[in-house]
Amino acid sequence: MNRIIEFENITKEFKILNRREGLKGSIKDLVSKNYSVIRAVNDISLSIGKGEIVGYLGPNGAGKSTTIKMMTGVLEPTSGTIAVNGKIPYKNRCQNARNIGVVFGQRTQLWWALPMIESLKILKDIYQVSDEAYKSQLALYESIINVKPLYNKTVREMSLGQRTLCDILAAFLHNPSVIFLDEPTIGLDVSMKSKIRHLIKELNARQKTTVILTTHDIGDVDALCERIIIIDKGSMIYDDTAGNLKKYFGAYRTLKLKIKGEYILSDIIQALELRFLNQTSMVVRTSEEWISILSKEDEAPIMEILMFMQGFILINDIKIEEINTEDIIKKIYEGNI
Amino acid sequence: MMKQGFRYYLKIYGKILVQNIKSKMSYRADFFISLIGIIFVNLSGFITFWIIFKNVPSLLNWSYYEMLFLYGFSLIALTPVQCFFDNNWNLLTYVFSGDFIKYCFKPLNLFFYYISEIFDIKGIGQLVVGITVLSYSWTNLGLDFSLIILVKLIIALVSASLFMISITNFAAASSFYILNSAYFVMMLSNKFKDYAKYPITIFGGALRIIFTFIIPIAFMAYYPSLAFLSNKEATFLTYFTPVYGITFFYLSYKFWMFGAMKYNGTGS
Repeated sequence: MNRIIEFENITKEFKILNRREGLKGSIKDLVSKNYSVIRAVNDISLSIGKGEIVGYLGPNGAGKSTTIKMMTGVLEPTSGTIAVNGKIPYKNRCQNARNIGVVFGQRTQLWWALPMIESLKILKDIYQVSDEAYKSQLALYESIINVKPLYNKTVREMSLGQRTLCDILAAFLHNPSVIFLDEPTIGLDVSMKSKIRHLIKELNARQKTTVILTTHDIGDVDALCERIIIIDKGSMIYDDTAGNLKKYFGAYRTLKLKIKGEYILSDIIQALELRFLNQTSMVVRTSEEWISILSKEDEAPIMEILMFMQGFILINDIKIEEINTEDIIKKIYEGNI
Repeated sequence: MMKQGFRYYLKIYGKILVQNIKSKMSYRADFFISLIGIIFVNLSGFITFWIIFKNVPSLLNWSYYEMLFLYGFSLIALTPVQCFFDNNWNLLTYVFSGDFIKYCFKPLNLFFYYISEIFDIKGIGQLVVGITVLSYSWTNLGLDFSLIILVKLIIALVSASLFMISITNFAAASSFYILNSAYFVMMLSNKFKDYAKYPITIFGGALRIIFTFIIPIAFMAYYPSLAFLSNKEATFLTYFTPVYGITFFYLSYKFWMFGAMKYNGTGS
């Protein structure tokens, strides 16, 4: 397969000035040489092929932006080799920028005061897109979504959803080999989210554009990504298919119980802890009248928990749910796996 | 910047400019109010100037009309910074919020892309006032006029305009280096342009050197004007204005770009 992005043992360190408190401290800081080194990205190697949609996940501050900035040529790695389309991005930011597209969820890159179509025309010139390519690209957009009514609207007049949509269209205009989408659905309503997902999926399928998607919305991941990369504290902790995520992290299931009569949650948790002492991965929560117990099947089988619970409380109703991606990722972030 | 070619950038700037003007025109009320507004701001500045000179007939051998000449000259020379480089004023906000990063993703020169984004049409009002004041003083001083003088005047005005542009570049780019005090630097730099309207000779020795070489506001009106006023002697610095203007602009551009490269954006 055609490799679009190659990372080999990439590490990025930042020198941070240790700031002192108070006015006196900040005056001292002016001449301070008291730096500490922070490792934002630690020895990451990855390889992303043509046409892939990769969900790039990680908690806040995990190093996602830093990695993306290295891919886009804004940052130079401290060590390691990096290639985007076979070229080193930071060596020639402008050259690299011709082959990529970037969308930041809340920061539009279109001209604020201009109608959308005029922004597109300026981008056409910036990226030197030919007339035919430009026309066929617009035709492609029109065949996927109803974009025509937006052409003459200025970005300033658009809703956040419309703006994001236009930002995505603008990023795809010069048919780049890779697109970076940073939280494209943040702050959008359900129907707009699904529109945006549909758009990304279609454009990816028709143009074979590689998509790197960072998001905190697991809905995006479930809808779009075949492959997931998770980083935390600068290191890569998962790189595999989305389907394997569930298998990989064990068969987690949630047992939901509706209990008759009054109960004290802390008592139940305590009893469960006593009974399944070794189960650090078990999570007990309550929502309305349901108690939900998340547990790993091979450590504490659901049936066993159910039987145990029946021993001391009256159960009105039960539900068993498979773990969803969100719960798995939450557990990964919390370091329970 | 040169790799893409000058024509490429010129074409793109032209397109953005036309679109910007079109969109400004479409907010008609806003357009006229801001145009009239800036004319009034400059007129009131002019009235203050007039009142002072009704009481002080001349300042260090500078007559009323000669002072008016400087005033008009500086207004015209300050128009480009107002019209084309206004986005510098927003740089601090972009750097502070981390939004500046968005300018790094286009295959364009950073400085060009950033500056081209905003065109402030209000400067036109200032230009109108400036041209009026300059022509008025020009006729009253009985100065000659010919095509050659016009070309000289345009060269002088363009070179003079480079100084305020450069000072603004330096001030704005300071936000890349000293985020917390950059606002102060920007306010200060904006104050300097008021001093540009006076002959440098009114300042004492140390200030004169500073305003000539370090913060070269004396080049915004005083030195270039000497070439046109009949009873003033043009000095070496008068003819040095274009060279120094270009050099100073180049230095400010480098300072700006270096800051931008150093800047990595806040986390997001």
